[in-house]
Amino acid sequence: MENESISTKNRELRLTRMLNAPIDLVWEVWTKPEHIAQWWGPNGFSNTITKMDMVPGGEWELTMHGPDGTDFLNKSIFREVVPFKKIVYEHPSYPNFIATITFQEQGGQTHLTWHMLFESEEVFINIVKTFKADEGQKQNVDKLETYLAAMK
Amino acid sequence: MIARRDVYQAIADPTRRAIINMIAAEPHNVNAIAENFDMTRQAISLHVKILTDCGLIAIKQRGRDRICEARLDQLSEVSAFVDQYRQHWESKLDSLETYLEKLKKERHGK
Repeated sequence: MENESISTKNRELRLTRMLNAPIDLVWEVWTKPEHIAQWWGPNGFSNTITKMDMVPGGEWELTMHGPDGTDFLNKSIFREVVPFKKIVYEHPSYPNFIATITFQEQGGQTHLTWHMLFESEEVFINIVKTFKADEGQKQNVDKLETYLAAMK
Repeated sequence: MIARRDVYQAIADPTRRAIINMIAAEPHNVNAIAENFDMTRQAISLHVKILTDCGLIAIKQRGRDRICEARLDQLSEVSAFVDQYRQHWESKLDSLETYLEKLKKERHGK
């Protein structure tokens, strides 16, 4: 029970990826709005970045445009920016989390880590659950398609 | 209306998580659980009832005691969902990777 306040295991997500690109290119693609707009967000989404002030306390406003025309505005605050090494940003509204991205050069490639720490396990579980609900709907459509295909 | 109880609801509350941790280590009766918390026995009983409804606790009658045992199989459902959410973020890295490849080609092509 005491450990609960110390351990963050129950409210975090940690991803790592070795990218086959030099660190200056990876940094560029992560820090320039015209590049980030090209890869951020789920498949089928496009993005508009209205603000991206990469200094501690600087604001970042990114709107994701969904395939059905729905806009999702994401407002974040940069907390730490160490060129070619580290970016920390905070999502100060629900779902509250702090993301830390680190970059490390390894023989011409770039090792990237992406850590997301949610404010509480409640927030984390809720976001996972919400995501699952969306996925569940997609899966239902998939299942229906499979079912219909089998009837042919 | 019957409220649907699921495993998320069970673990969304810190007291209930603490109860699960406690009885996962060793089965306890409700009184013994209540002694560990700064809450009324009634409040603890309600938490135990919710956990029971969600299938995370099984209650066994032993003489006059009602012993709570943890049933943790259900929790694997949650970790499976976390994996799906992780995949969602992995796909962001996939598109970053694809975009980097595209940029590299464009720049070398010039």
